[in-house]
Amino acid sequence: MNTRTRHHTEPILSAKDIVNRFGRHKVHDKVSLDILRGEVIGIAGGSGSGKSVLLKTLIGVRRPDAGQVIVDGKPIDAIAPAEKAALIGVLFQQGALFSSLSVAQNIMLPMREHTDLAVEDQERIAAMKLELAGLSADSGIKLPSELSGGMVKRAALARALALDPRILFLDEPTSDLDPITASGIDALIHKLNASLGITVVIVTHDLTTLFTICQRIALLVDGKITVGTLEKLRRSDQPWIREFLHGPRAQGAMTPREKYGNG
Amino acid sequence: MQPAPSAPSSLSVAADEGGDGIALRGALGIHTLTQAQSFTAPWPGKAQSRTLDISELSSLDTPGALFLCGLRDKGVALTGIRAEHQALLDLICALELKSLPKKAVAPRWRQLVIDLGKGADDAWHDTLDIIAFVGRAASATSHALLRLRSLRLPSISRHVEESGIHALPIVGLMAIMISIVIGYQGVAQLRPYGGQEFTINLVAVSMLREMGVLITAIMVAGRSGSAFAAEIGVMKSREEIDALTVMGTDPMELLVVPRVIALVITLPLLTFFSDIMGLLGGAMISRFLLDVSPVQYLERVHQAVDARDLFVGLIKAPILGFLIAVIGCMHGLRVQGSAESVGRETTRAVVKAIFVVIVLDALFSILFEKLGL
Repeated sequence: MNTRTRHHTEPILSAKDIVNRFGRHKVHDKVSLDILRGEVIGIAGGSGSGKSVLLKTLIGVRRPDAGQVIVDGKPIDAIAPAEKAALIGVLFQQGALFSSLSVAQNIMLPMREHTDLAVEDQERIAAMKLELAGLSADSGIKLPSELSGGMVKRAALARALALDPRILFLDEPTSDLDPITASGIDALIHKLNASLGITVVIVTHDLTTLFTICQRIALLVDGKITVGTLEKLRRSDQPWIREFLHGPRAQGAMTPREKYGNG
Repeated sequence: MQPAPSAPSSLSVAADEGGDGIALRGALGIHTLTQAQSFTAPWPGKAQSRTLDISELSSLDTPGALFLCGLRDKGVALTGIRAEHQALLDLICALELKSLPKKAVAPRWRQLVIDLGKGADDAWHDTLDIIAFVGRAASATSHALLRLRSLRLPSISRHVEESGIHALPIVGLMAIMISIVIGYQGVAQLRPYGGQEFTINLVAVSMLREMGVLITAIMVAGRSGSAFAAEIGVMKSREEIDALTVMGTDPMELLVVPRVIALVITLPLLTFFSDIMGLLGGAMISRFLLDVSPVQYLERVHQAVDARDLFVGLIKAPILGFLIAVIGCMHGLRVQGSAESVGRETTRAVVKAIFVVIVLDALFSILFEKLGL
């Protein structure tokens, strides 16, 4: 069970002095963040605080105006595409499933591109990933347009896991979902982290997700980042952080913490 | 667990043979699965007596675990399982593994018949839809024209600008090019008979009666028909159309009518412009290929065509404009849900509008012939 705590000291990804600006507006002003091997870290912030921009920078889709992202000891720009695919998996906010391909074909696409596996093996692995993400293999032949919101997230998660990446990025994994489905996704992320030892980065403003399954939380406020455990952050006297972690919604989200043993 | 080597190329798995068993070494994962399969491939279907030692594995991922679970189900004994691998194996082996369902595949000839039937059915329903929508749009437009207060002049003027004024350069250029093409062919074909002077008649008549309006209508269908479908389609996919309806505003009146009126006004004007540019192209051809001066050219044109030729061309324009706008708007309103649908409907709107333009132009030609115009 505690294999993951063992790795919690060395960073697998570190962002150094990231600056992102749009015109004159600085979204990130020298943001530095270390993501540790095997942890679940939540990135939160108000609307428009640059969460998604930071995520895009971390996964190497957006080149920062200054600063550097180092993944597994190498600058992210210098990593070959095939290697990057094996290192990083991303669940995009809207799923970003390829609409012309079936769910199974979506999951098999990275395997087809980057491995030499026979089609039958790819199909077997795709079925396994679907089960792992909590979908039945029967949904494999469906098209993304035939899936409900929760199923889209699970299918996209299965695709993000296709090559067994070492870091899994999740952009708003529980947004637009009903509370039951959202809790199911939370439990699934926790299970993947605990059993596969996968490092998970969650961008969200779902307080329940942040409080229950994230071991550390990074808060983006005014272009700066504050990282720490929930307990440490709750003692902060920065006004926005106090409001965020002590407001009426935060009180409600504190209750289910014990379930995951993060209390 | 020692960190897995990061470069996929450096991954490898090896096996030590020994009696009835094999010991795997290295990283067993998605990139080395084919290698690992080759070691166990010679084993019979029921391999009760075989053992696989995995204590030397440096890393294991889910496809690797799936492979090991498959072997275990065949009766192979896995030995030397390390604690961290055990957790993964437990997780994967506990999954209820079903194979992906296969899609029912019909024989090719049957699929052809099915597609043919579906296509014919779709075409029939499309035709009905267009007729119904033309009716609705015509009624909404006449309604708006009767009650001038509900006519949205700012909106109409914006669409006239976008689909008319902004289209002037491209329409003019196209008209000149087409008249040059016709002119060159005319000169080449008529010269052996000594009738190259008649090229001027050919260019003038075909531009005024047919090509001017046809080129303009096709251009407008591509530019504005697609723009109408995409604009309205995006609004539809973002529920803006529903919002309009809830607020008691008729989307037909607000979105469709101004666009229809705008194109009915614009297309004849653009056609006239394209006719003039076409004649200009003819003048250029005459100057350089026939040595006919612009003044002489004008005289020849005056003899060759009269106002009737111009009106035969222009009379088609408002009708084509109406249909292009209606088809664009209809496909925009047909969008359902996603952005993908917007793209599909936009393509359909353009294809259908150009098709209708050409079919109608052919029908008009026959009609005018019968009427002796």
